[in-house]
Amino acid sequence: MSTQISQPALQRESEQRVASLERLVRRLHLNNGIAISVLWILMIIVSLFFLAIIVQLLVQGFPYLINPAFYGADGEGAVGPQLFNTLYMLILSEIILLPISLAAAIYLVEYARQGPLVTAIHFAAETLAGVPSIVLGLFGALVFGSYFHFGISRLAGALTLLCLNLPLVLRIFEDALTAVPRDLREGSLALGSTKWHMVRSVVLPSALPGIVTGIVLSAGKIIAEAAALIFTMGANNPSDVFTLNPFIGSDTLTIRIWFVQTVGSGTVPAPAANAVAAGASALLIVILLVINFSARAIGRLIQRRVTAA
Amino acid sequence: MNGDDEKYSRKDCLVANTQSSRLADQTARVVFLICAILIVAIIIGIFLFVGINGLRVFGEDPHARNMFTSTNWDPDGANGDPSYGALGFILGSVVTTVLSVIIATPLAWGMALFMTEVTPRWLENILRPLLEIFTGMPSVVIGFLALIVLVPFIKKVVGPHTPNPATSGVGWAAATIVLVVMILPTIISLSIDAIRTVPGSVREASLALGSTRWQMMKNAVIPAATTGLATAVVLGMARAIGEALAVSMVLQGTTLPSKILTPLVFFQPNVNITQAIVFYFPEASGPSRDAYFMLGFILLAISFLFICVSRYLASRSVYK
Repeated sequence: MSTQISQPALQRESEQRVASLERLVRRLHLNNGIAISVLWILMIIVSLFFLAIIVQLLVQGFPYLINPAFYGADGEGAVGPQLFNTLYMLILSEIILLPISLAAAIYLVEYARQGPLVTAIHFAAETLAGVPSIVLGLFGALVFGSYFHFGISRLAGALTLLCLNLPLVLRIFEDALTAVPRDLREGSLALGSTKWHMVRSVVLPSALPGIVTGIVLSAGKIIAEAAALIFTMGANNPSDVFTLNPFIGSDTLTIRIWFVQTVGSGTVPAPAANAVAAGASALLIVILLVINFSARAIGRLIQRRVTAA
Repeated sequence: MNGDDEKYSRKDCLVANTQSSRLADQTARVVFLICAILIVAIIIGIFLFVGINGLRVFGEDPHARNMFTSTNWDPDGANGDPSYGALGFILGSVVTTVLSVIIATPLAWGMALFMTEVTPRWLENILRPLLEIFTGMPSVVIGFLALIVLVPFIKKVVGPHTPNPATSGVGWAAATIVLVVMILPTIISLSIDAIRTVPGSVREASLALGSTRWQMMKNAVIPAATTGLATAVVLGMARAIGEALAVSMVLQGTTLPSKILTPLVFFQPNVNITQAIVFYFPEASGPSRDAYFMLGFILLAISFLFICVSRYLASRSVYK
């Protein structure tokens, strides 16, 4: 029936169609190529920028890092007390933070029924995670400093850090506990153990890798935090700084960097201030790198041990 | 006879055991509940204490009524009557936050797309740790680096055009760049999470229809991840507006510059909310101390608004 249409016309039409399709394909592939290369360029710019920052910080702090006097107890350029305080605050805050957040996570995962209480706790955690650390500092100065009469002290600082880290650690612990398979729990309960016994002997050991992740992430956050601590812990050291007394005020590496560069710039000569800040910045980066990589190694180790056992 | 005794004592022992472990179970439950409720108590406490102390300033000092209408911040009354105009601080926070988010968002989304859809595995193993290190980077370190590298550079380039070249270099421009560095890792990792939640079937369907990789990203992945991407940006904004120390290091102003309608305003010492709190709160007392709590409460309210927006967006997303 369609033999009326001449052969050449048909051919021309199909050639045109093929040509236009080819054009389309070429255009699409060109767009694809452009988009992918833009993404590559973007990635290279951003990561080179990040790398440049880290390299610059390490390079300008390196001369101080290899100088033993930099870790000394006194002198304008020494950060011995600050290093001690940073580690002290890390341990003190973790001692307060870990039991509380682990207990809260266990309650949410093992005991609580879905309902308004759980929703409220999750909403509270999310809101708390969004509170600026400077506002937490104001809150800590008011409540822990004035109402609890801790004043400007390490304890007030550690309690403020608890408020800062609780949401993050709670979420990681919750994820870790939720990831423990149901069969393990049911097996344990079927053997007649109480819930608490089951949590202790079955759930917590299996959740250990996640718990370690939480500890490491919060450790990084504690070491890096400064804004929440300025009003609660102060920026000055007493003369006998190397004590375990939690009721004295002190500073940390991060507070020291901020202090010598801003409000305290008159108390330290500019070259010394820059030396302290450069050295302390490099030291902080090294500490964070060590924590980050050892966390990976520990996590892998525990994972292997748990899955092998 | 003897055997009977033994049986009884064993039963007693078992009962006692069960009772004590039940007791332990109950105690543990209560302790856990208290810890879980603690987090609710903390957040309510923050709103109550900061809010009450902040709002008290309006009762204590009638001058505080100009807080949202004036830019003259002088709560101690150094020049005559005390004045509580916080408009300059709020303007500073808003300008730096908005600008930094505008700069950071395209970079972050591009980076997130690259890391989820394009990157080869070996490259991902390098980028991921880099990103993690930057997410936990202390803000003062970034602030210090900006102070000794970025600020002298800005001073050299734009300084001669500003009214006071000696103090130029610090200001909104430097603060914006610092904020970009601070929020970029946050937005990237949240965007990566958002894109990861889009199921592989969406990608496969798009590719099976003959899309190129870019068409697949543009027409399938990004629309499916929109709410997650938006949430990432909102949370980045929340972080930017609350960032205090690094920004205070590169702002260093006491008031807004006199002429704020020129581009040069970005390169002169300037102010924002967090910087005012950081510098002046420790020495403040009386009504002026409460005024700083009020500034903190403004920050708290803004970030709470951001959290609510992000929750709303998350509740609308299809893939979780």
